[in-house]
Amino acid sequence: MKKKILHFLYEAVLLIATLIILLPIFYFAISAFKLREDILFYPLKMTARMFTLDNFVVAYSKMKFFEAMSNTAFITFGSLIITVVFSSMAGFAMARVAARRFTLSYSFMVTLMVVPFIGCVVPLVVIMNRIGLYNSLWSCLLIQAGWNLPFATFLYTGFMKSLPKELEEAAVIDGCSLFGTYFRIFLPLQVPVTATCCIRCGIGVWNDYLVSASFLNSSKSPTLMVSVKKFFGQYVNEYGQSFAAVVMCSIPIVVLFLFLQKYFIKGIAAGAVKG
Amino acid sequence: MKKRIRHGTYMMLPAMIFAIAMIVVPLVYVCVLSLHKWNGSIKVPMEFVGLQNFIKLPTIVGFGDMIKFTFIFAFSVTILTVLIALVIAFALDKPAYRCHVNRSLLRACWYIPALFGAVAVGVVWRIMYNYNNGVINSILTMLGLPKVNWLETRGVTGVAVIIAQVWVQMGMCIIIFLAGLQSVPHELYEAATIDGASRWQQRVKIAIPMLAPSITINFITTSIAAFKCYELPYTISKGLPGYSTHLVTQMIQEYAFEGLNYGVSSALSVLLIVIITIIQLIQLVVLRRREDVY
Repeated sequence: MKKKILHFLYEAVLLIATLIILLPIFYFAISAFKLREDILFYPLKMTARMFTLDNFVVAYSKMKFFEAMSNTAFITFGSLIITVVFSSMAGFAMARVAARRFTLSYSFMVTLMVVPFIGCVVPLVVIMNRIGLYNSLWSCLLIQAGWNLPFATFLYTGFMKSLPKELEEAAVIDGCSLFGTYFRIFLPLQVPVTATCCIRCGIGVWNDYLVSASFLNSSKSPTLMVSVKKFFGQYVNEYGQSFAAVVMCSIPIVVLFLFLQKYFIKGIAAGAVKG
Repeated sequence: MKKRIRHGTYMMLPAMIFAIAMIVVPLVYVCVLSLHKWNGSIKVPMEFVGLQNFIKLPTIVGFGDMIKFTFIFAFSVTILTVLIALVIAFALDKPAYRCHVNRSLLRACWYIPALFGAVAVGVVWRIMYNYNNGVINSILTMLGLPKVNWLETRGVTGVAVIIAQVWVQMGMCIIIFLAGLQSVPHELYEAATIDGASRWQQRVKIAIPMLAPSITINFITTSIAAFKCYELPYTISKGLPGYSTHLVTQMIQEYAFEGLNYGVSSALSVLLIVIITIIQLIQLVVLRRREDVY
């Protein structure tokens, strides 16, 4: 009996801690639907009387939401394609071909994961200026793709190493080339790791501020986080509208998370278990 | 076999070239830039000044405050995040008794803060920390406590930024710990139970040593993230008051894009890269050695 009470208390504490952690999210999610006065006077209450969509309407037009969203989507999908194609090939070679140069390249790639992007912003700006891509969405796309490559390669190599050797032996005996084994045998097996990689890298690109703020003109080609920041800078006191902007930017990611939780969790854990 | 290696090299090359062009070239270039005086304009030639940018660093405005806060921030964020994540991961792990709350739902809840972009989170926390209108101060008033000026008090602002950062980074650590906990073989717990070990003893003597690799990884990833982090502290406090919540990353950005002083900015970047590398090495050596003991 004493044990039962103890367990109950333990669960209660855990539940309360969870609620405290979720409090900021609850607060901004409900505040996005409220008028300014209601946010200030009833910060944690929500009644039907307070419900309004005005904040969303205003934020949508003022932050050029549609434009920002399409720019962000272009950068995200474009960079993911490059990252996935390059790193899946590289990961396959690094995991499946036995030669010194592949292990060396693998350790080189893994080392690159540590380099902080912010340390390289200045030279990248100079380089992009020189080749005329500054202020163009392509600069962001290329940079995102390049900086996601090390992690993606790491992920793919780990996955490829975990597949059994017998898979390709038959193909090799039958005289199938390396490209052939990759396309015919390994490509179809890569679906789960590709999902993991896309989700993990995709969130980072979608939520990125630093790259787009450094390489894009914020009024000509805004991305989501840049326009949220700019919007908040201009209307510091419009809490409801800022919250609405945050909610609109985050919805795609949160919805994805709710449906694909398994892959999210895998993506995080993948980097850890084999580290 | 030779053909296989050659083909493999072809498959590896695009990724390698791309990574070298996007990461290694800038990395070398930043070292070169740090030895020059330059304002970023193509018309003005770079002027070689040797190590002067580095020698000048300690004298630039707010450098002492910035270094102090960068380290305090990184250390406290790392330690708090890993400790809290460890406790929560134990709590969220499958318990021995029948539980009333769905564990996988709770796990999802703890990960949700990590989904939002750093800027979005920063905007939300900045509004919450507001002195007159912020929800945190209204909760404090409701509880009968005095209001705190979160964003304009030296020291307190640092704490405010650290809390927000821990809130964001926790989810990831928890998931890594949970993955580690699930890989602990069940027989170990069973054997310990038969030997009469309490649940607490099982955690300290079995789970934590078995978690050693996860602890290493969490320390490394969290501290890299804390040193790299830029958007969140910048959105919440803008480095104010004074230079007391400036991070090295913010100073890099300011010198490059507001001061147009590419030399000093690059020198700061080199400093950051060196700091991160050294800390990784120390952590790897210390934590790996501890792993070996068990």
